[in-house]
Amino acid sequence: MNPVPRTVVRYALLIVTAAVLQKALFSQLRIDGAVPDALLVLAVAAGVVSGTERGATVGFCSGLALDLMVTTPFGLGAVCYLAAGALAGALETAMVRSARWLTMVIAALSAVFGVGMFALLGTLLGQAQMLGRHLLVVMAVVAVSTAVLVLPFARACRWADKDADRLRPALR
Amino acid sequence: MALSTRRSGRTRFTILLLVLTAITLLTLDGRGFGPIDSARSAILSVLSPVGDAAAAVVRPIGNAWSSAFDQGDLQAENDRLREENDRLQGAVTAGQVSQEQLQQLLENEGITFTGDLPRAHAQVVAGSVANFGTTLDLDKGSASGIAVGMAVVTGKGLIGKVVQVSENRCTVELITSGNYNVGFSVVGTPAVGVARGTESPSLLRGINIDVSVSSNVEPGSIVVTGSTRRSSFPPNLPIGTVATVQTDDATRQATVDITMFARTTDLTYADVVLWQQPQP
Repeated sequence: MNPVPRTVVRYALLIVTAAVLQKALFSQLRIDGAVPDALLVLAVAAGVVSGTERGATVGFCSGLALDLMVTTPFGLGAVCYLAAGALAGALETAMVRSARWLTMVIAALSAVFGVGMFALLGTLLGQAQMLGRHLLVVMAVVAVSTAVLVLPFARACRWADKDADRLRPALR
Repeated sequence: MALSTRRSGRTRFTILLLVLTAITLLTLDGRGFGPIDSARSAILSVLSPVGDAAAAVVRPIGNAWSSAFDQGDLQAENDRLREENDRLQGAVTAGQVSQEQLQQLLENEGITFTGDLPRAHAQVVAGSVANFGTTLDLDKGSASGIAVGMAVVTGKGLIGKVVQVSENRCTVELITSGNYNVGFSVVGTPAVGVARGTESPSLLRGINIDVSVSSNVEPGSIVVTGSTRRSSFPPNLPIGTVATVQTDDATRQATVDITMFARTTDLTYADVVLWQQPQP
């Protein structure tokens, strides 16, 4: 199979897996009403592993998957996760040296940015109660959980990107 | 260098294209584009069995997680529930008598008795999937006669309305979400207004009450759904009791805080009231 469709199929598989994980597992792990967000972690991990463009594309698709499962305006998750994935990619690319702790910090910051943008845009689009004390709790839970989960998710993204990786050194 | 610049230009173009697509989707959804609702209903159907199967596997993890965070509260809640159960058993008999009397009274006044409206009894199978959601998934759908907009109640009162339906599932947006209004009236007074959720899981804010009739509204007064023509809720569904009343002389309107009868957290069962506003 051509490497590009293979990468697309693998990422599609990862998005579906993340969506099922979110529905079945992560949605039950509530801390003060906030949950880890597997689809956001996937967007951020794709950005960290493969750069801005891949982060944005995977973020857009995983955001759409979220939009299909919730009742917030359709497209809100897509645009916010796109931004989070792109930011993660841009930050990781800008780093002179690479370290695990640095990746975790970048992932946490990008996830917090995505959640903050979601709440802000949601409020502008007429959603109630997104900006409040609950937002701080959500940001804290999402930041910590993303920092922890980004490493295994990044490993999965490397698997999905395995064939595309061969072209990357020439393209950077 | 040239390759890098071309690459960077392509990245910007891709991101711009994706952002424009997302904005287009947001606009379409805002205009009530039908296929988006259909896609969401389809996903609700498709994910239900997958979610149920996976949830059965991971439920022990979820339960252990909840126990770890709620251990201190469980004993106290158990004691409180045992005491409440004893008290309620005595109240059941008295309640049945009162209900018959209320039904007779409402019939005399020509008001529909909502206890008689058909309901679909459903189990809560999932809470909100992500952050910021105040929704529940019930295990009944259009096959049980459920449609979008129908009111959802527990034994104590109104908790929300149906916002998505598939054949065997429906999603309920809780009244506390603050994303929609509920017309209400205060029993025994001419006061009417609209209630909206606050950040609290048990408190609503009632606004637009004419100040000339608000003097009749006192803390403890019972609040039920109103009977406005455009309301998607049947009239006289219990909502809660008035907690506080504030009057604004400048706008000639009063605001009330309403403590809900029904709780909206840790729900196991709920009833969908199979009632829709008659078409004119």
